[in-house]
Amino acid sequence: MTFRQLQRRFLLYMVVVVIALWVLVPLALIALAAFTPRLELYQWPRPVLPSGFSTATMSFFLRSYGTLTSLRNSALVALLTLGMTLAVGAPAGYAVARYVFRGREAFRIGILMTRMFPTSLLAIPLIVTFIRWQLYDTLIGVAFIHTAMALPFAVLITSGIFSGVPKELEEAAMTLGCSRLGAFVRVALPLALPGLAAAAMFTFVISWNEVFASAILTVRNRTLPAQVLTSLEVAPLDFRFAGGFFMIIPALIFMALARRYLFQMWGGAISER
Amino acid sequence: MRYLSVLLLAGLVASAATVAAAPDLTFMSTQMRPITEAEWVRTVLLPPFTTETGVPVVFLGAEEPELTNRILAEFEAGRGSLDLVGDLHGNFLVYYGALKDLGAELAQLEALGDRTLAQSFVELGRIGDAQVYIPWMQATYVLVANKKALQYLPSWADPTTLTYDQLYLWAKKIYEATGEQKLGIPAGPRALLHRFLHGYLYPSFTGAQVKKFDSPAAVLMWEYLKDLWQYVTPSAPLLDSMDTALLSEEVWIAWDHTARVKTAVMERPDDFVVLPAPAGPKGRGVITVLAGLAIPQTAPDPASAYQLIEYLTRPSSQVAILEGVGFFPVVTEAAGAVPTGGLKVLADGVAVQSASPDLLVSIIPGGLGARGGEFNKVYLDSFTEIVIRGRPIKEVLAQQGALLDALFRETGAPTPVPDVYLP
Amino acid sequence: MPRTPALRSLASEKALPYWLILPTIAYVAVFFLVPVVQALLLAFRTQDGQWTTRFLVRMVQDIQFVSALRFTLLLLAIIVPLQLVTALFIALLVNTRFRGSRTFLYICAIPLGISDLAAGLIWFSLFTQHGYINSFLYGLGIIERPIFFLSAQNTGWVLGSIVLAEHWRATAIVLVILVAGLQMISRDYLEAAEVFGARSWQRLWHVTLPLLKPSLQSALIIRTILALQMFAVVVAMGGRMVPVLAGEAYYWYYLYRNTNVASAYALLLMVISALLAWGYLRFLRPREVRP
Repeated sequence: MTFRQLQRRFLLYMVVVVIALWVLVPLALIALAAFTPRLELYQWPRPVLPSGFSTATMSFFLRSYGTLTSLRNSALVALLTLGMTLAVGAPAGYAVARYVFRGREAFRIGILMTRMFPTSLLAIPLIVTFIRWQLYDTLIGVAFIHTAMALPFAVLITSGIFSGVPKELEEAAMTLGCSRLGAFVRVALPLALPGLAAAAMFTFVISWNEVFASAILTVRNRTLPAQVLTSLEVAPLDFRFAGGFFMIIPALIFMALARRYLFQMWGGAISER
Repeated sequence: MRYLSVLLLAGLVASAATVAAAPDLTFMSTQMRPITEAEWVRTVLLPPFTTETGVPVVFLGAEEPELTNRILAEFEAGRGSLDLVGDLHGNFLVYYGALKDLGAELAQLEALGDRTLAQSFVELGRIGDAQVYIPWMQATYVLVANKKALQYLPSWADPTTLTYDQLYLWAKKIYEATGEQKLGIPAGPRALLHRFLHGYLYPSFTGAQVKKFDSPAAVLMWEYLKDLWQYVTPSAPLLDSMDTALLSEEVWIAWDHTARVKTAVMERPDDFVVLPAPAGPKGRGVITVLAGLAIPQTAPDPASAYQLIEYLTRPSSQVAILEGVGFFPVVTEAAGAVPTGGLKVLADGVAVQSASPDLLVSIIPGGLGARGGEFNKVYLDSFTEIVIRGRPIKEVLAQQGALLDALFRETGAPTPVPDVYLP
Repeated sequence: MPRTPALRSLASEKALPYWLILPTIAYVAVFFLVPVVQALLLAFRTQDGQWTTRFLVRMVQDIQFVSALRFTLLLLAIIVPLQLVTALFIALLVNTRFRGSRTFLYICAIPLGISDLAAGLIWFSLFTQHGYINSFLYGLGIIERPIFFLSAQNTGWVLGSIVLAEHWRATAIVLVILVAGLQMISRDYLEAAEVFGARSWQRLWHVTLPLLKPSLQSALIIRTILALQMFAVVVAMGGRMVPVLAGEAYYWYYLYRNTNVASAYALLLMVISALLAWGYLRFLRPREVRP
């Protein structure tokens, strides 16, 4: 390895470390804050490293009414949303990417327009509709709304993905005897998988973090953010840190799980050919 | 694998769609919402009720706008989930149309003979011909001072009869000695600054909440506030409540709602004193903060909800609430109770305030209905324009005063207390 | 180029795209269309059904309107391009597949999973008077007393803090879309460019970026729409000092309880979003992939 190469490599890792720290340091601080003894949080200057490790606030928070149930609720709602969004949205994304049809542009803009309206202003109409449809205070009801919120983005992302899959490949598969559906499933779908994973991740986190519809459409069956918002918004600092940190952990785990799909292409078919 | 995931999804849908049958009572409240207080309600206050009546209660906290929208929407849909609602007088004024008339229940309560609900509070809960809520508990706004601040108080000033001028000198002196602005007035987006303006400053300086909105006395008041603001912590526009700032000593003196300073005083009772709100030329303006209990017209189980109201207004429950979370009783039988520890510090301060001879009590204007929010906005916007943006006082007051007039004209709302006592 | 039978069969599937988009249209119509249209009408109609421009006038004359509009557009103009450049840089860096790049990408993608509420809280705890940054600087002896990063006297600092927080929180979504897009680009193109002697800058500009257009377009549209609705982070850091349009809409609906003026704000937000989205679709149109 020449000196120049070594220099470049050093520079590369410097940049990488700086960016990684930029992301990680704030996370580390809230993690520390969540386990700092409560009165130390109010000291000046606030110690970055707490004098001891206190789980008092966190365990009170975990044991309090509704916290763990809401965690389960959030996971259920997010998975349902994920399934419904991809099932409904991915075909539309494929259509927009593959076909030039009358009304395509109108569809693209129109579907995005629904997302440009601040959903928080639909509180009263949504509650009334949901009560009439027997969806009020149910998790499937929340998932329906989350799907409606994630759908425009899912269509957009998947259409971007499918338009990157060369048409010729599908056509080739069809000349080789595949049906239309077969060509899609065997050729386009595998190639688009990392992109679909990105869309799936985004959908999942939209649902996971959505607070407004979840809070307004449920009474007892709260999701985690709705639960945290109502009980911690007015709580002292130590509880806000504990709750904030607790909300982050599941997201970290989910990202770690989804990572595999995001990287599936690496070293795979296209890049090695 | 694929079948497995289909199966899994089906299971998810099934479990998410089931609504647990709920024979128990749903009690939603904007009060006692912070996590520690809500847990206290669930584990200490309510279990004896369940033991006694066999009715389990689910206590849920809610933000004010959320509760309001929920009640209005459930009313519109004609089917509800809430049995009992705990909220503030000012919020009930927005959605009272969706609430059950509790006139008969009130008579039933009073016939029990073991409790005397303060009559002025009962009156507040009567809107039109209907008793829309039953008084539940009360609170107020106070001044909390770190004991470190007391040494800077002008020697001739008595902290229990503080005036706004003395408050100004006090904050100024602290600034000159420490170089820091140590006065805290909550001015964040969810803060109660509007109450400070229309219920504390305005009556103290002009003798009225609304009537003297752009009078010469009001101009003096705004000039005072501009001067005072030099010594208010620069973080004020971020702060929704003062407890954190008091604990971290970012501020030494703070004005706020008792519920929003309570944590600080309870955490370190030896470090803080609780003082009455200051007085101005026209008196010591204070607002009565009254929380009530109401039953929505769509309540699934109004009979059990009444039982819970009965339980919560018992003198013993009222004392328990004071000792547990620091809200003050509304029944005279519980009036003498004094809590211990940090809550005693708080209760003592409130007692001194209530006994002040120059007290000038305001009540949040009724009759504005849903437009009560715009009433608050007039005061907040005047503040933003005058104090934050430095626009000419008279111009701003003329503009905002026109909006205020229109509000009262269009809703036909009556002149509020204490404005009605003015000529 | 001779038309293959397969291509003809693709072209003849006239009805198929409509069948594919139908579920989405039906879904959105059921859950959103009616309430959104009703809400938008409220911007022009009183409760008893009369048409009026009163609410639009009230919105425009409101003391927060001009600053809300200004701050919204300003934040948008700073944050979105900054995020795009950062995300593109990181995506290209990751795409060189150095040792450890997978872990690096994972770390950079973490904020994607963090809600705006939590992010607001994290950054608030850094920037407050007795927060981590001031504690740190004080501990090092750099400052004698805390700096007020978040105060009305210092709107510049407040805006800077919001930009930092929002950049930290929301760059990840752009990054993930771009990384996915980069992986779709066949190496053949780049190798061909290399064979023809294109330098790395030229390859980026003439090969990678044009091929990345669909992903760039998606990322820009999503970020712009979401940035226009940004609210929780701004409130956490800016309190009452930095009004934004989405916040005003929320306040008018929930705190001032005037649905009509709230709808006027929502309408304005939709118009701005739609104009920008149309612009992105129009000017970043990917070249149709030709066989």
